[in-house]
Amino acid sequence: METLLATLHVAGWAVYVGGAVTMEWVLRYAQRTMPPSQTAVVCKHAGSRYRWFALGALAVTGLSGLFLLFALDQDDLASRFSSPELSLADPYGRTLLLLGVAWLILFAVLSSMAFWLHPAQARRSRPEMSREEIQSERERVGRAIKRMEWALRTELVVSVLAVGLGASLHAGGLF
Amino acid sequence: MPTDLDTWLHIIYAYLHDISIAVYIGGAVAMEFVLGPAQGSIPPAQAQVMGQKTADRFLWLVWGSLSLIIVTAFFRLQHMGYITSDWPFFESGLALSEDYGRTIWTMFALWCVLCVNGAIMTFYLRPRLAGRLKAGTTSAGVQASQQAKMEAAKWIERITRADLVIAVFIALLGASLKWGGLL
Repeated sequence: METLLATLHVAGWAVYVGGAVTMEWVLRYAQRTMPPSQTAVVCKHAGSRYRWFALGALAVTGLSGLFLLFALDQDDLASRFSSPELSLADPYGRTLLLLGVAWLILFAVLSSMAFWLHPAQARRSRPEMSREEIQSERERVGRAIKRMEWALRTELVVSVLAVGLGASLHAGGLF
Repeated sequence: MPTDLDTWLHIIYAYLHDISIAVYIGGAVAMEFVLGPAQGSIPPAQAQVMGQKTADRFLWLVWGSLSLIIVTAFFRLQHMGYITSDWPFFESGLALSEDYGRTIWTMFALWCVLCVNGAIMTFYLRPRLAGRLKAGTTSAGVQASQQAKMEAAKWIERITRADLVIAVFIALLGASLKWGGLL
């Protein structure tokens, strides 16, 4: 059971972090050679699928991580490298707490992308709109795209750091 | 914070190993289930250009992560005392009579399968997909070339999906090592 939970945890992180790296390193690179109108179409389609994949993967990671935490016992911990303890007085406990905080940040960033930033990128121009209204609509969409880029980069940095925190648990934690 | 180099090495190897696996599995999922369908939303000529660009870039990620996975796996095993400098170069814990050893060797065999599949895609199928027609090609030649491209694209899709299943199985085996191995 624990092996299955650990596999789900690893697979969840892998889909999430690997997806974020691929979106930044592969999709953004391919977009540079595309006409702006098609970039917008590809972004819309890729973004609307990616947000659900990422949210699902993050939810799986959080749930499996929580179950793995409940399954931890002191005897098991004592037999590990550097004999860590599940307490805030020990680096292992503090690193686990930081991982939880990183997960919450990622969940907040991703939720804002899924339910606010991504829908805000849709342009709502109508034929009866004045030139000023069209211009302000364009500016609004431009701001939404910039915010989305910031959110994507924040997500990438926090997720890569979180993998580092997770990896440090093998050696008894980092802080 | 850890103060000795030994612990830092332990963390760095684990970190690079985990990141490489994440990039391999997550990248394959994103390519297959996010970028692939998004490609279908633009005109075919542009979709082909996008497909080539994304695949070229993704292959760098694939080979980079496959290389890092094996290098960091070697160093981690060496660091844990499973690999030595004397024949047969590994300790009894990695023998096939042990669950841990069988699991590790199965992971290594599956990693070799991923490398072979990667090589087939990089050196055989991708060049077929990118092949350009010469001036004066007959209509039969054009049709044959398109047929070959479609066939190559189908095989790339099949191999990518198989690789994804294999990589997730490797992750399962890797996760089981903490409890002594699965096989």
